[in-house]
Amino acid sequence: MNLEIPKTAYNGRIKEIRLGKGDKAVTVGGETCYPFYLFEGKMPNLPRIAMEVWDTSPEDWPEAALEPFQGVTGDPVAWARKCVTDFGAEMICLQLVSTDPNGLDRGADEAAAVVKNVAEAITVPLIVWGTANHDKDTEVLRKVAEVNEGRNLILGPVEEGDYKKIGAAAIGYQHTVIASTPIDINLAKQLNILLGNLGVRDELLIIDPTVSSIGYGIEYCYSVMERVRTAALTQQDNKLQYPLICNVAKEVWKTKEAKPPADGALTLGDTRKRGILLEAMSAMVLLLGGGDVLIMRHPEAIRLVQEMITELAAPKNN
Amino acid sequence: MVLIGENINIMSRTIGAAVAARDPAPIQEMAKAEADAGMDYLDINIGPARKAGDELMAWVVNAVQQVTDKPLSLDTTSPVAMEAGLKACKARPLVNSVSLQPERLRQGLPLVKKYHASMIGLLWGTEGMPRDANERCLLAVDLIYQVNQFGISSEDIWIDPIATPVSGEINQVKACLEFMSMLKDIAPDCKSTVGLSNVSNGTPAHLRPYLNRTYLIMLMRYGLHSAIVNALDPELIRIARGKMPEIVSLVHRVMDGDMPDLSSLSQKEIEYVKTVRVLTGETLYSHSWLEI
Repeated sequence: MNLEIPKTAYNGRIKEIRLGKGDKAVTVGGETCYPFYLFEGKMPNLPRIAMEVWDTSPEDWPEAALEPFQGVTGDPVAWARKCVTDFGAEMICLQLVSTDPNGLDRGADEAAAVVKNVAEAITVPLIVWGTANHDKDTEVLRKVAEVNEGRNLILGPVEEGDYKKIGAAAIGYQHTVIASTPIDINLAKQLNILLGNLGVRDELLIIDPTVSSIGYGIEYCYSVMERVRTAALTQQDNKLQYPLICNVAKEVWKTKEAKPPADGALTLGDTRKRGILLEAMSAMVLLLGGGDVLIMRHPEAIRLVQEMITELAAPKNN
Repeated sequence: MVLIGENINIMSRTIGAAVAARDPAPIQEMAKAEADAGMDYLDINIGPARKAGDELMAWVVNAVQQVTDKPLSLDTTSPVAMEAGLKACKARPLVNSVSLQPERLRQGLPLVKKYHASMIGLLWGTEGMPRDANERCLLAVDLIYQVNQFGISSEDIWIDPIATPVSGEINQVKACLEFMSMLKDIAPDCKSTVGLSNVSNGTPAHLRPYLNRTYLIMLMRYGLHSAIVNALDPELIRIARGKMPEIVSLVHRVMDGDMPDLSSLSQKEIEYVKTVRVLTGETLYSHSWLEI
């Protein structure tokens, strides 16, 4: 008797989008099956990892996260170069932390100049991430878009409260938009519709479903991502057939579990190892939910995740 | 189909302010508007009414009864307020609602019996919201049994399977429908009702009627006895009164999986088709569902 393995009936495909410019541009998306269900469909482009660079010296990073970047954390250009040359980064995500109005509140011109310097120093695609403050991001990301015209930066977060102005700048200066919604599939779809109506072309849009670390509600993120993929691949929902980007590192490394215990107690084990594993495992969960681009921090966590991707994507001999 | 007007609700800005100021005029105006619109019952929702709920409910009931003789559906979680309202009702009232939570049963059933009222049997269990149609069935059987044991007959139970927002968990919207299709078999003597507008909670206000109307048609297909509705939606009332048979049959076709050629349909028909597809989960809901 032959056992018939049940198969999912797919009728949709994730759109392929090309991030960045030139030889080092990266293509993501194109899946015709659930993540790594290679026995049911294809993943023509495996998920990619962008290494995180901050535009200012991080003050609250645990030692474990700082150590690999010793000597460059005050200089975004040197930092980005190090990620590419020393750690083989395929993409960089520049976090514009210093523009936060509740923090250093750096101006749009200064931020745009930093972005330009970093963009000119590397050839891999550059993601630029604001502070999720609508007014400030509108100001900053518009300027960033203008100053870096034609580079196909990946700009975000673009939210319902600021999509018109940032979206228009992205269209005008040819950049990709990160459509960001707070862990809600209906709102994610709605924002994609709004961006489409605005004139953002399909191949210039990537979804940020909003993610968190293990222990901080990652199951909700996973569930929303899974439903996005179900609607996209099995219900022909073309407003959700976009790749997914997950800004996970900063969520992981700010948790108390990734930091040395406040009281010095060692009950949670080796701090360094814990932070790295927490990042790698959180990233892995998001990959299984459908993540196409992961923004990560620690080179060892990245290596672990890349190994997993390679292994999961390897052809099976059976 | 029995229609229960939902518009006298303390959550409404005008009604809430009128209640706070003990000004009967806006409440009576709304009661008249609901009665004129053809409501069979008027729901009076005063919320939890923790302070002086009894005086409050009796006051609203009397104010409404000065302008209409429609029977009332009394909606409060306060047993004291409920009893004061029941006492003041002239026509046979409906208690909205009794659920399976032990306290609600203990406090609600004696009132239903004492005042010879009907009751809405809300399928809310000790563990909260039922997760699917089967859990709704279990809760319904349990609730009907307990209510019957108390000496209240099934004809006086209006089972409410709980409608949930389409912008939330779509499986719940489907489960409520599925349950309605099963209710006739498990409890042929019971009546049914549903807080219809819940389905469009969270949707921009001007778009809510599309969801309410379409979901009503879908539920009516399975024999829904009554619904708590927005009395100020004339098209919804025409549907309930059987005056839109072509739209109803179109909705039924789409429910059965038929996908009519949109180019052959009128704007209104297209809107109904798109809305059915959202409510069956065929299309994922977004606020722009009518436009795409």
